[in-house]
Amino acid sequence: MTLTFERPDTSTVSATVDALCKTYGDRAVTSHAVREHHSHGEGMQDAGLPDVVVFPESNDEVASILRLCNQARIPVIAYGTGTSLEGHLKALYGGVCLDLSRMNRVLEVNAEDLDCRVQAGVTREQLNVDIRHTGLFFPIDPGANASIGGMSATRASGTNAVRYGTMRENILGLTVVTPEGRIIRTGTRAKKSSAGYDLTRLYIGSEGTLGIITEIQLRLFGVPERISAAVTQFEDVQSAVNAVITSMQLGIPMARIELLDEVQMDASIKYSKLEGFAIKPTLFMEFHGTEAYVSEQIELMKSITAENGGSDYRFADKPEERSKLWKARHDAYWAGMNYLPGKQAFSTDTCVPISRLADCVKAAKEEVAKSGLVCMIVGHVGDGNFHVLITFDPHSAEERERAEVAADRIAHIAIGMGGTCTGEHGIGIHKLDALKAEHGEAVDVMRTLKRALDPNNIMNPGKTIPMQ
Amino acid sequence: MQAANFFEALSNVLPPDCIKTAAEDMRPYECDGLSMYRALPKCVALPENEAQLAAVVKLCHAHRIPIVARGAGTGLSGGAMPDPNALLLSTAKMMRILDVDPLACTARVQPGVRNLAISEAVAVHGLYYAPDPSSQIACTIGGNVAENSGGVHCLKYGLTVHNVRKLRVVLMTGEIIEVGSDSLDSVAPGGYDVLALMIGSEGLLGIVTEVTVKLTPKPQLAQVAMASFASVEAAGAAVGAIIAAGIIPGGLEMMDRIATEAVEGFVHAGYDLTAEAILLCESDGTPEEVADEIARVSDVLRQAGATDIKVSQNEAERLRYWSGRKNAFPATGRISPDYYCMDGTIPRKELPRVLNEIARLSGKYGLRCANVFHAGDGNLHPLIMFDANVPGELERAEEFGAEVLELCVEVGGTITGEHGVGIEKINQMCVQFSPKELTRMHEIKHAFDEHTLLNPGKAVPTLHRCAEFGKMRVTRGKPMPFAELERF
Repeated sequence: MTLTFERPDTSTVSATVDALCKTYGDRAVTSHAVREHHSHGEGMQDAGLPDVVVFPESNDEVASILRLCNQARIPVIAYGTGTSLEGHLKALYGGVCLDLSRMNRVLEVNAEDLDCRVQAGVTREQLNVDIRHTGLFFPIDPGANASIGGMSATRASGTNAVRYGTMRENILGLTVVTPEGRIIRTGTRAKKSSAGYDLTRLYIGSEGTLGIITEIQLRLFGVPERISAAVTQFEDVQSAVNAVITSMQLGIPMARIELLDEVQMDASIKYSKLEGFAIKPTLFMEFHGTEAYVSEQIELMKSITAENGGSDYRFADKPEERSKLWKARHDAYWAGMNYLPGKQAFSTDTCVPISRLADCVKAAKEEVAKSGLVCMIVGHVGDGNFHVLITFDPHSAEERERAEVAADRIAHIAIGMGGTCTGEHGIGIHKLDALKAEHGEAVDVMRTLKRALDPNNIMNPGKTIPMQ
Repeated sequence: MQAANFFEALSNVLPPDCIKTAAEDMRPYECDGLSMYRALPKCVALPENEAQLAAVVKLCHAHRIPIVARGAGTGLSGGAMPDPNALLLSTAKMMRILDVDPLACTARVQPGVRNLAISEAVAVHGLYYAPDPSSQIACTIGGNVAENSGGVHCLKYGLTVHNVRKLRVVLMTGEIIEVGSDSLDSVAPGGYDVLALMIGSEGLLGIVTEVTVKLTPKPQLAQVAMASFASVEAAGAAVGAIIAAGIIPGGLEMMDRIATEAVEGFVHAGYDLTAEAILLCESDGTPEEVADEIARVSDVLRQAGATDIKVSQNEAERLRYWSGRKNAFPATGRISPDYYCMDGTIPRKELPRVLNEIARLSGKYGLRCANVFHAGDGNLHPLIMFDANVPGELERAEEFGAEVLELCVEVGGTITGEHGVGIEKINQMCVQFSPKELTRMHEIKHAFDEHTLLNPGKAVPTLHRCAEFGKMRVTRGKPMPFAELERF
């Protein structure tokens, strides 16, 4: 089976745009600047502008826009905060960009049940500020201050997925608007359900290709009694990775465990002005729990890292020290972008079984070395997910090509080790081929699902699932 | 196509001892754990490997013969109930553990492997498979996947969907697909989460032939605190207090006095029979962690009004405390000729209200009801006791059950937390989901199985059925559900 999409003729498009502008007034924008701003995330920038950007304020508005677009066969692309990395927002066929930032209300907080319901445009930082008084927090932290809707649509995770899981584990239910403009609710407030097909998880990670997620029921967690962050440095990447593997096998419930290789450390020391660190492979760790429990985890972890040649720990127990440390980790991408003058960088997103992690990191480094480009590694190694930031000269097509080839090889190495080309960034337009390599026949099943739920293929067409 | 042709073709793809057609050979397959409903299938096929299984499926597809898949038949919602027109496909012969990777903490197994057999096989590595439905000694991993099974420890360790990394699935066309990935955190990496879609789909979308499960390091120590309460509501409120204190125990279970009385006579677990309800709260981890958590839990329980707290002092005692909980269903079977187990799941804070309402309904219908449940995640298992030989009692039990489920939906919960819909709760699906959501499900079903050959009539009701059910609810007329089915 194949999927197809053809851009409707200009008069249909302009009639739809006019209709939207008439209905939504200044909430439907056609200026070039706004359309350009909505045509890309933070990844590599390729042109592809939507025809109009609309800012809906309710489920009903989303539904009526979708009905209109479905009739006219106009593509619809959802926009949260524009922090995606895989070209999800590029308007391949023009169409309507739905910016959900005005749907930014926290609808309910059920502190006793540890859950809440939010609109799609609520950002994760906004949510955490909003619920601070309850002693609860929403742990998933992809670095960027992304919207909950966008995080749901891309099945985001982040530095503390190793302890708290990804969006997949932390969403109880969704409100979704289908391409026909029907508003459906999946899941319930119960912690588990085996009623019917798991529509909730089908829409999570569907990257806006099946429907528009407008509301999310989320799990929350109690703020731990003690949070302690620590840093240790190693002579080589293998030793650091081995320490991580041992800690996972012992079941130490690390809240975060992040690896930065020596090149990334060099870049981050410069970019984030970190002091007192050597340019060596480094583990950033965080422990959550009660006083006694955190001390115990730290003692155990110290013995593991020492066995692997790790240095003494530097602790950050005060919130401001911790924030500085994690800010540096979250800015790793920008540190990489600015590492070499005149160069840009893009990131791979492979994830492998932890037993293969050391091999995969080594093979990835060799692959980039072959290309003659500079790369750095940063990763959520606790769950086997790491990013290779490959630097290249944006003005040299040949160099960009070499970088892309290396990235593609790394994805295939990971797939060959039983892993995946994307642990958390999603497919977008950049990993369509890798998806085929990874899933084989299952891609056909995905196409069948796409056609069943979006027969006219208006929902973010050309993304996530290869058309042929 | 002639039936004779089908059987002849079937004997070409399966060895003779893998096909059962005589009534006496098929009798063991006539029902699953929901034994009120029974039927003989058209025939039983027991393939020995994936190739045979795929060939059977392909053949059924060509002849348009429906298929009902079956693991160990311990399901409680009639998901594996045979259909007289359908082939019953048992995975009982596919019971090999194919591969264990102790470094990656995964095991690759065939669908007929028993849940507990996985934990036994990997115990040498200090690992185990975390989801532990009470039937784990018998139930198969394939069945667990079909039902998205839970268990007493899923509060902390998750359901089947959180503990399966990858599946091989035979689709109705005979095509084989692999979904998920071996890598740790990204079980659903790129593309749609077909893995999650398969898990809990009750055999309606495909047949699982291989399961890669996540293994969990065995905690060094586990201890159970057992607390007595003077009322069911107080115990329910204590559950909320524990979770609100930021403690996620390994297991958090509640039993009321009818249930504790039933099990005490059966397994002598040492329960406090003066208490109206007891809570079992398990803590696991390193000794320091457990000591710390048990102390905190005990504080919370005392503040919530516990009249007595006992903590297991050794492994034997811990297992004895659990034995009562795990044997609650058979124990209830000893004191009542029949019982009907519900599976509604609600937001935790509604526990006191719903338990009160169940007590009221018990009076209204004149049927005793034991409450045993996974309190931590709000998953109720009221056991409605009745005697099918007393005219009218079965119907009263079913009506009682239906009211409980509707109540669960009303407070924001679901009709089934872990047992699945099967045939048992198919009418209540119309209460939980609107035609809009059901239409989505039908579209998905059609994408996988356009001729509706996989487990027909189960799990997802047709809109027509919902319309009829709606009528039935309004008039309270008495057309018995599944009137076409034989009962005993």
